[in-house]
Amino acid sequence: MTAAGTVFDIGYQSYTGEREGRKRSITAVYKDGIRIALGLGRGPRAKALPFFFLAVLSLVGLVMAIIAGAANKMGGAGTAEQMNLPTHSDYYGIASMIMFVFAAVVAPELLCRDRREGTINLYLVRPLTGAHYLAGRWLAFLTVMLIATWVPQTILFLGLSAGDLDPVRYLTQHWLDVPKFLAAGVVMAVYSTTIALLVASATTRRAYAAVFLVGLFAITTPFTVGAAEEMHGTVGQWISMFSLTNIPLHVSDMIFNKTSAPTEEAPARQLGSAVLLGWYFLWTFGMGAILWFRYRRIKP
Amino acid sequence: MSPDTGEALITASHLSKKYKDVTALDDVSFTISDGITGILGENGAGKSTAIKIFLGLIPPTSGTAMVLGQDVSKSIDIRSRVGYMPEHDCLPTQVSASEFLTHMAELSGLPPRAARVRAADTLRHTGLFEERYRAIGGYSTGMKQRVKLGQALVHDPAFVFLDEPTAGLDPVGREEMLDLVRKTHRDFGISVLFSSHLMSDVERTCDRIIVLQGGHLAESGEVGQFTRETESVFIEVDSNRDELMRVLEQRGVAVTPEGTGLTVKGSERIYDEVRDAVVEAKAPLRRMAPQRRALTELFEKEHA
Repeated sequence: MTAAGTVFDIGYQSYTGEREGRKRSITAVYKDGIRIALGLGRGPRAKALPFFFLAVLSLVGLVMAIIAGAANKMGGAGTAEQMNLPTHSDYYGIASMIMFVFAAVVAPELLCRDRREGTINLYLVRPLTGAHYLAGRWLAFLTVMLIATWVPQTILFLGLSAGDLDPVRYLTQHWLDVPKFLAAGVVMAVYSTTIALLVASATTRRAYAAVFLVGLFAITTPFTVGAAEEMHGTVGQWISMFSLTNIPLHVSDMIFNKTSAPTEEAPARQLGSAVLLGWYFLWTFGMGAILWFRYRRIKP
Repeated sequence: MSPDTGEALITASHLSKKYKDVTALDDVSFTISDGITGILGENGAGKSTAIKIFLGLIPPTSGTAMVLGQDVSKSIDIRSRVGYMPEHDCLPTQVSASEFLTHMAELSGLPPRAARVRAADTLRHTGLFEERYRAIGGYSTGMKQRVKLGQALVHDPAFVFLDEPTAGLDPVGREEMLDLVRKTHRDFGISVLFSSHLMSDVERTCDRIIVLQGGHLAESGEVGQFTRETESVFIEVDSNRDELMRVLEQRGVAVTPEGTGLTVKGSERIYDEVRDAVVEAKAPLRRMAPQRRALTELFEKEHA
């Protein structure tokens, strides 16, 4: 029995437990990436931006559900569908710019700070390579982007079901929207994650990457729309393909088999689904390959 | 403390590294066993290149580098058993030391619960326990150096590379850091390769040294071998220094003035000669001590 309050220094204890290897290392990079992206474990300022954008994206879904519910209440069952009010297939078109700005503002934090502060040097002397580090960070931001795409769609789906005069009928008739919005969400998330991290890999300043990305998304769409109108025919269609915000939306349209507002007038649609799908994969895998190549060679 | 078994923890065997026209390491061979080993050399001597090869960050052009019995060019898994404290800034500013060390332990493969326990223990041993929940950005330079050392030790490595651990520290911080380095081997049983420009730090901390010069191995061996007594005695007197010098010269002793004192060369009998000369010259003796070689002489010798 020891006296109360006695403190013993048990000295240095060697670690004899399990060492889980590279899988644990990559998981640690992934977990840390999610914490950075959402500002978890950091001050309120770090949480403000990501949660503001997540709230706005969710609000868009909620407002769409409320409008549809109100239309049904006032006009009777099925009014929202008859009025062709925006639903799951339209959500990504409506909210895509907010999603891209969210990716532009938040993603650079996952890569830029580690390089600016030199922390990357400590990662690369652990049992993982630059490619492993990048994989962990990419998966972390993909997870955050999936939250940003799936949560508002889920709110919209639940809202539309609850707002319908016959929720059970709505669920049985529209349950196929769920796999569609999940798949389209993956398309949006993979694309925006890859492009945002690629730009972030080129600078150590988060602000530069964010401004460049927002500019890229904001400028390419009106520029390509204007240029495509001037140049008719195949040239116009190909110019329209360079609208960076529309690239994943064309694939989303294919999944829902319905066009969304930003792509409805895009001349690129006339090139056909195969070209649009190939274009999406070319951009996504191309950017992913450049990103991987940059980090594969990175040395402390 | 782990016993000094004399087994090689690190082996460089005919190690060479060439970058286009520059040869950073040229056919260097040495072994490092249990203890604290200093690696000395001027900028461009090949210290950083050697450390990077041992960490498996760059492949050697020729030769082999073995760490804890494994060829580092074949697998990076050995990094889970070694630690590295870089010279330059590498700490995140926004997170606490506790969160950072936990993360670093997980990166080295420790499960989350064990990582948290190890982080708390390591912060206690490095003297940061009270400050562990503060953001690192608000730490002093000395505290940041301790965090850097902590992240190198948090996964309980068998060997740790310390690159200029006293850089930027004031004299008190430097002493504390050197104490921690000694403690790392003495109490934690972790062997250390200590890279530094400061000879006095290496002289006081290390058991052995390796000196690299222009990519070549210039010297290696026990520190004591380089700082052993020389056949010279340094004498300091309160007054009559010139008279003492004259008397010593009359007695046939080789004597040279050095600062406020005199250096005399000779074997054991020199002490009797000095005693008699001091009495004859009526010079009050303040200090008489055998001279030791300093590590700086190694560099002077290499330059010559």
